[in-house]
Amino acid sequence: MLSEILIIVVRGIAIGSIFSIIAMSFNIVHGATGILNFAQGNMLVLGGFIAYFLANGVGLGQWLLMLPIAGIAIAVLIAFQGWITLLPLRSGTEQDSWIISTVSVSVIIGAAMLLTQGPFAYSVQNMVPSFRILGVRTPGAYALSIGVMLFWFFALRIFLKHTFLGLAISALRQDMDAARAAGLPVRRLQIVAFAISGLMVGTAGFLVAPVISVSSDAGLRYVLNGFVAVVVGGIGSNLGTMIGGPLVGVVGMLVAYKIGGSYQDLASLLLLVTILMFRPQGLLGRASARQV
Amino acid sequence: MTTDKTMTMTDTAADTGRKPRFSSDLPQVWIGMALIAITGFGPSLIGNSYWSHTFQLVNIYIAAAIFQNFLFVDAGQKSFGQGVLLGLGAYVTAIFFGLHEYTFLAAAGIGLFAAALGGLLFALPALRVQYFHLGFVTLSAAIVFPQLLMSLDHWTNGINGISVAVPALTQDGFLGISPLTFIVAVFPMIALWLHYGIRRSRLGRRMRVAAISPEGARALGIKPGYMRFIAFLIAAVGTGICGILYLPAVAFVSPQGFNVELSFIFFFAVVVGGRGQILGPVVGIWIVYILPNIALAQFVDYRLLIYGFLTLFTVMAFPDGIVGTIERRRFQRGISGRGEQAFRVDNFLEAMKGEDATEPSTDVVVEVRGGTKAFGAVVAVDSVDLKVHRGEIHGLIGANGSGKTSLLNVLSGMSRLDAGEVRIKGRDVTRFPADRIANLGVGRTFQTPRIYPQLSLWDNLRVGLDARREAVSDEIDDLAEALQGQFADDSADLLSHGQRRLVEVMRTVLKESDIILFDEPAAGLSSGERENFARLVHFLSRRMGKTVILVEHDLDLVWGIADVITVMDQGAIVASGEPETVSKDPAVQHMFLGEARA
Repeated sequence: MLSEILIIVVRGIAIGSIFSIIAMSFNIVHGATGILNFAQGNMLVLGGFIAYFLANGVGLGQWLLMLPIAGIAIAVLIAFQGWITLLPLRSGTEQDSWIISTVSVSVIIGAAMLLTQGPFAYSVQNMVPSFRILGVRTPGAYALSIGVMLFWFFALRIFLKHTFLGLAISALRQDMDAARAAGLPVRRLQIVAFAISGLMVGTAGFLVAPVISVSSDAGLRYVLNGFVAVVVGGIGSNLGTMIGGPLVGVVGMLVAYKIGGSYQDLASLLLLVTILMFRPQGLLGRASARQV
Repeated sequence: MTTDKTMTMTDTAADTGRKPRFSSDLPQVWIGMALIAITGFGPSLIGNSYWSHTFQLVNIYIAAAIFQNFLFVDAGQKSFGQGVLLGLGAYVTAIFFGLHEYTFLAAAGIGLFAAALGGLLFALPALRVQYFHLGFVTLSAAIVFPQLLMSLDHWTNGINGISVAVPALTQDGFLGISPLTFIVAVFPMIALWLHYGIRRSRLGRRMRVAAISPEGARALGIKPGYMRFIAFLIAAVGTGICGILYLPAVAFVSPQGFNVELSFIFFFAVVVGGRGQILGPVVGIWIVYILPNIALAQFVDYRLLIYGFLTLFTVMAFPDGIVGTIERRRFQRGISGRGEQAFRVDNFLEAMKGEDATEPSTDVVVEVRGGTKAFGAVVAVDSVDLKVHRGEIHGLIGANGSGKTSLLNVLSGMSRLDAGEVRIKGRDVTRFPADRIANLGVGRTFQTPRIYPQLSLWDNLRVGLDARREAVSDEIDDLAEALQGQFADDSADLLSHGQRRLVEVMRTVLKESDIILFDEPAAGLSSGERENFARLVHFLSRRMGKTVILVEHDLDLVWGIADVITVMDQGAIVASGEPETVSKDPAVQHMFLGEARA
């Protein structure tokens, strides 16, 4: 009984950490641009595919070498996607085209993975040895995913508060027009924000590949769970995502354990609707002050 | 598109002969009907059963895309889950008809009920939130739905699906056209007319206003959440019927048939065809569905990739979609700016009958007692007491950040006091939402005028008329008629800032608000426009007896027209009274750079 609870909690938190990373990557882009990238989940899965093709069954040295490559590759890809997404927004009248363009990019990536790799889930070798918590064997990648979440949380915190580039990106979130008036290169900063989000999900996808579903249809599910995590925590709050992500993960694991794996997504959906109905600003979010 | 052009020309010729019609919605309905009729009946007439069968499904998808278009643009709801509603209609009907041997009609009734229920579930979060949240909720639903169909195999037959046959509907009838072929061709036609009809109705206009500017809508007494709710319900019922028709057309349902791809088809078809264009879904489904599935059948595995690229390309290269791009060309060809003449109100108002010079009375119509509103640590409105009398022009002045607009937002219900109370016409409205306050006869303008370029200039004014709760008075009726005659086919998009302001003012006049709140109305107006505006405010108060509360930085303007002036500083009222008294108040003097006022 105890070990059951332990498995649910540990694995839930670990899987939830991945949702939390996606949620944080939402936050940085949303803060700088107002956009939520629907393709973020597929980008994470792409990171997993990089692990499968370039670093599966290799030695630790090559594996470590491939990690930054995965991060940078996805960062470049998302920066390009961001550039495309921001193009039509230049006109100013067309403010919701990003929903369409990010959804279509997500569909394109999913379809390309399906065409080239088929509908199967690929398994990637664990690089970190498994360990025991109170006698329960736990794959090392679970610890890794919690570690990646913590790493990115603190890395973002330092970046956004203590570097010039990070402060400039934070300024966009405060007031886009003022930032532009102050001479900040807004468009370039927005693309940097996209790239950072790519760095996050690229490295995360690479590192946690052994415990995520590396398959063409998984991306949408990750992006949705990431969204639930960001809504639970409150959009814009990275601290909130560290509550939201693990919560979604534990709820999903509990449902999988008690009812069945095919009800996990339903549980996330119900959680999302409940939060939106009763606390739309999220656990740590604040209601906005001025509407007109 | 030659049909389009000729139809437009004949229609405008009947009108004035000079302006192109603002909207080509009606010609688009006719073209859409013609296209659906040709593809719906043509194959059966020449006896081609392959095409006949194919277009049955295409026409069902067209109808579903029409409802998606309505929901997407007219109601502003980006739903990625319309396939779920179609699936609910189809699956529930299949379960009761195929597995439990209900009659088709009874099963279809239950299926429709299930689809409507599904729509209500979508709409529930829509009451609270909007924008991308709903996109994620509906996309989740689209992913969860086929999973549920699989897991609930006790009811749904799981992966094996359900086969049905409805021979009564599919047997060839008159001219080789089966009842089903007839129904699935007529249904999208009805959907086109329904979309057109809603758009021209009061409900449709109010829905569109709520979609474009929720706070602008609330100032007109509209509840945006309620509008979204209605829209979801309409779309769900329409899409549910599509699901019911899907069943005899395909004769089989399985979970794979209702995965997220189906929802994407409808969404992408609307974007590619042209968002908001009545004809858009017809063209969109032809391209998005027919192209990869039929015309390029050897590449059918690539269809998702094709949808994705087509849609991305459309958003990048011609965001208005195919029909939208053609429509824009048509409209721009006939367009000519009318400069200063584009929108004036003086002659309309002067033509109005009405008694002369009413003076402000002593009744208090707006009252704030001890009103306090804080945002975090900032106290924007600090224990304010304010009284405004009927028919009075009340100027509210003060430096930036002194709490004027915050107070105005409290009065119009856009934000709520933390302490104290607001009374309007003697009623305690402290906890009223903005739409209820608007319905008490309060109208307001915004710092950035709320102008809806998707609506014609006349419809921009007419939403004021739509906001009325009582019957139209003769006076306003005449005014409305004159405005309609003049502006029915004008675009509101070309108006200058000052003209946009006047449109907002005219809207509150048509609404017959008797209390009008102006939020920095003179900002961005030229000096000539300011003079006109001052005359207009005077007219509203003295001739029409309206109470005016005016937040403004232009002190000359305020001193020229206000009966009473209230000065705010750091959230509190520092002086209030007649202009001469206020200008002598030492607390106010420093505001005028040492310059004395009289």
